[in-house]
Amino acid sequence: MLNWFYIPLQGIINGLLTGALYALIGMGMALIFGVMRIVNFAHGAFLMIGMYATYLLFQATGMSPYYQFPLAGVLLFFVGYATYMGLLRPIRGQVDFMVILLTMGLALILTDAAQLAFGADYHQINIPLLSKNIHIGPQISINAPWLVSFGIAVVLACALYWVVTQTMFGRAARAIAQNPYAAPLMGINVNRVQAIAFGIGSAAAGISGALLLPVFYLFPEVGNQFKLKSFVMVVLGGMGSIQGAAIAGLVLGVVESLTSLYWGNEWALAVDFVLFILVLSLKPSGIFGSQRA
Amino acid sequence: MRKWQLLIAVIFLIAALFVPLFGFTDYTLQILFRVFLFAALGLAWNLVGGYTGQLSLGHAAYFGVGAYGLALFSKLGISAWSSVLLGVGLAVICAAMIGKVSFRLRGPYFALCTIAFAEVLRLVAKNLPNVTGGDVGVQVPLLFPHSTIRGFYWSGVLLTGFALALSAWIERSRFGYYLMAIREDQDTALSVGVNAARCKLWALLISAAITGLGGALYASMFLFIVPDQVLAMDISTEIAIVAMLGGAGTLIGPLVGSVVLESAAEIFKNIFKEAHLLIYGVLIVVVVLFMPEGIVGTISSKLAWFKKAPSAPFAAPVPATAEEEAQRVALNK
Repeated sequence: MLNWFYIPLQGIINGLLTGALYALIGMGMALIFGVMRIVNFAHGAFLMIGMYATYLLFQATGMSPYYQFPLAGVLLFFVGYATYMGLLRPIRGQVDFMVILLTMGLALILTDAAQLAFGADYHQINIPLLSKNIHIGPQISINAPWLVSFGIAVVLACALYWVVTQTMFGRAARAIAQNPYAAPLMGINVNRVQAIAFGIGSAAAGISGALLLPVFYLFPEVGNQFKLKSFVMVVLGGMGSIQGAAIAGLVLGVVESLTSLYWGNEWALAVDFVLFILVLSLKPSGIFGSQRA
Repeated sequence: MRKWQLLIAVIFLIAALFVPLFGFTDYTLQILFRVFLFAALGLAWNLVGGYTGQLSLGHAAYFGVGAYGLALFSKLGISAWSSVLLGVGLAVICAAMIGKVSFRLRGPYFALCTIAFAEVLRLVAKNLPNVTGGDVGVQVPLLFPHSTIRGFYWSGVLLTGFALALSAWIERSRFGYYLMAIREDQDTALSVGVNAARCKLWALLISAAITGLGGALYASMFLFIVPDQVLAMDISTEIAIVAMLGGAGTLIGPLVGSVVLESAAEIFKNIFKEAHLLIYGVLIVVVVLFMPEGIVGTISSKLAWFKKAPSAPFAAPVPATAEEEAQRVALNK
C-alpha cells in the first residue's frame, strides 16, 4: 500500500545519500576550476588513489575507513600540492588545452601504475557496519554505511564552504577566480594559493574515495566514472561555483537514483550526460551559476 | 621547410605502399595498419584540433558511428562498401549535430561537451541491444575478402595519403587561413568577417568523414565490435594524443606522432602487459612539459634559427647623388 509514494521516496533518499558523496567530489573539482580555470582530468585518479590508500591501510590495521578517511585527505593534499608545484606551475600561461592534456596524461600514468602495482582485480572490504540497516516506518530502509558517509560528507562540504567564504585563503582564492591579473597586484601569492587550492580539491577527491570504499568496488579505473560525473556537476553548478557544485551533486544523485529505479541502472550515466549537454547548450553558465561561460 | 616536410611524407608514404611485397608477417602488417590508421585519424583531428584550435575529445563518436554504420547497414542487406559510405554519411550528420551545439562553447567547455556527446553515443549503443547488439557486440563484414591484411594495410596508407593531401591543400587555401585565424583569435577573426561558426562546422564535417571511414576500416579488420571498443573515450584521447605529440597544427605532425606513439605502445605492450597505456601518459607529460609544440613543431621552430635571414628590414642609406647634394646645400642656405 502507498507504494506509489514510498518507492520514489526511497529512491530520492538513496539519491541524496549518494549525492552527498558526489557533492564532495564535485566541490573539489569546482574549487580547482574556480581558482585555476583548468579542468582536472586527474580528479578521478586522485579519488582512486584515496581508495587504494584506504584499502591498504584497512588491510594492514583493520581500522574502519570511517575513522581513517582524514589520512586519505592528508595524503591527497600533498599529492595535489606536489602535482601543482611540479607539473602545473611550469606550464602556467600555456593554452588551456595543454593543461587538459597534462592532467589527462597524469591520470593515465596513475591509473596504469595502480594496475601494475595492484592488478586489475576488483576488491571490496567487509566491515560489520555494512549489514546494518535503519528502518523508518514499514517501507523505508537506509543502509547504515551510506548514512555515515552522508553525515561525514555533509560536515566536510560545510567546512569547505566555510573555508572558501570566510577565511583569508578563501578570500584570496575567490579574488584569483574573479580576476587572475589583479589578484597578484593586491598582494596575493597566486602560486601558493593555487597550490593549496589544488591540494584541497584533491583532498576532497581522496576523502570521497575513502568514504566510497566500503560501499563500492575498488579497481584501477574506478575513478573514470566519478571524473565524468564531476565534470557534469561543475557545469551544472556553474563553472567554479562550489555551492553550485554541491547542489548539483545532490541533484545528480537523485536523478541517477530515479533513473535507475524507473529505466534501469544502465541508463543512469547516459541521463547524466544528456542533462549535461542540455545545460551546456541552453544555459552554459550553469543552473546555479551567474557567470557567463 | 614545409616543402621538405611534405616531400619526406610523400616519399615515406610511397615507400610504405611497397612494404607488404617484402613478406612481412600478418602481425607486423596489422601493427603497421594501426600506425597508418591513427596517422589518418590524427590528420583528420588536426583540422579541428590543430588548425582551428578546438580541442575535441569526442572523435570516438564519429569513429564509432562509422564502425557501427558499416556493421548495421550491412546487417540490413546493403553491400559492404555502400554501408561504409552510409556510415560515413551518418558520421557527418552526427558531426553536424554535435558541432551545432558544441561550437557555441569555447575552451574547456567545448572539450567537455564533445566528451559528453561521445559518451552518450557509447551508452546508447550499450543499452540498446536490439539495435546494436549491446555489450555482446555485432559482426562486421570483411571489406577485403581476398587479400585480407594487405588490403587493410594499403587502404590505411591511402587514407593517410588522402588526409595528408587534403590537409596540405586546406593549409594553403583561404578556408585554412580562416581556420587558423579562428585559432589565433576568434573575436578578431569574427570582426574581420570570418564566419567562424560555419568554418568550424565545415572543418568538423571533413574531419568526421575521414574519422568515420577510419572507424569502418578498423571495425572491418576486427570483424566484431562492441561499444566499449569503438566508442570508448580511449579512442578519442588516442587520436588527440597522436596529433599533439607530433605537433598540432603542423602538416606532418600527426603522421610522426602516430609512428612514434604506436611503435612505443607496441614495444611497451610486451613489457607492461595490460598497463601499456602508461607509456601514453609518460609521453603526454613529457611533450607538454618540454615540447609544447609537439615533435614536428618544436624541431621546425628550432631549425628556423638556421634559416636564411630575410634581407634587412630597413634599406641602408643610398649615397646621395650630386644633384640631391646640391639641392640639400641650397635648402640649408
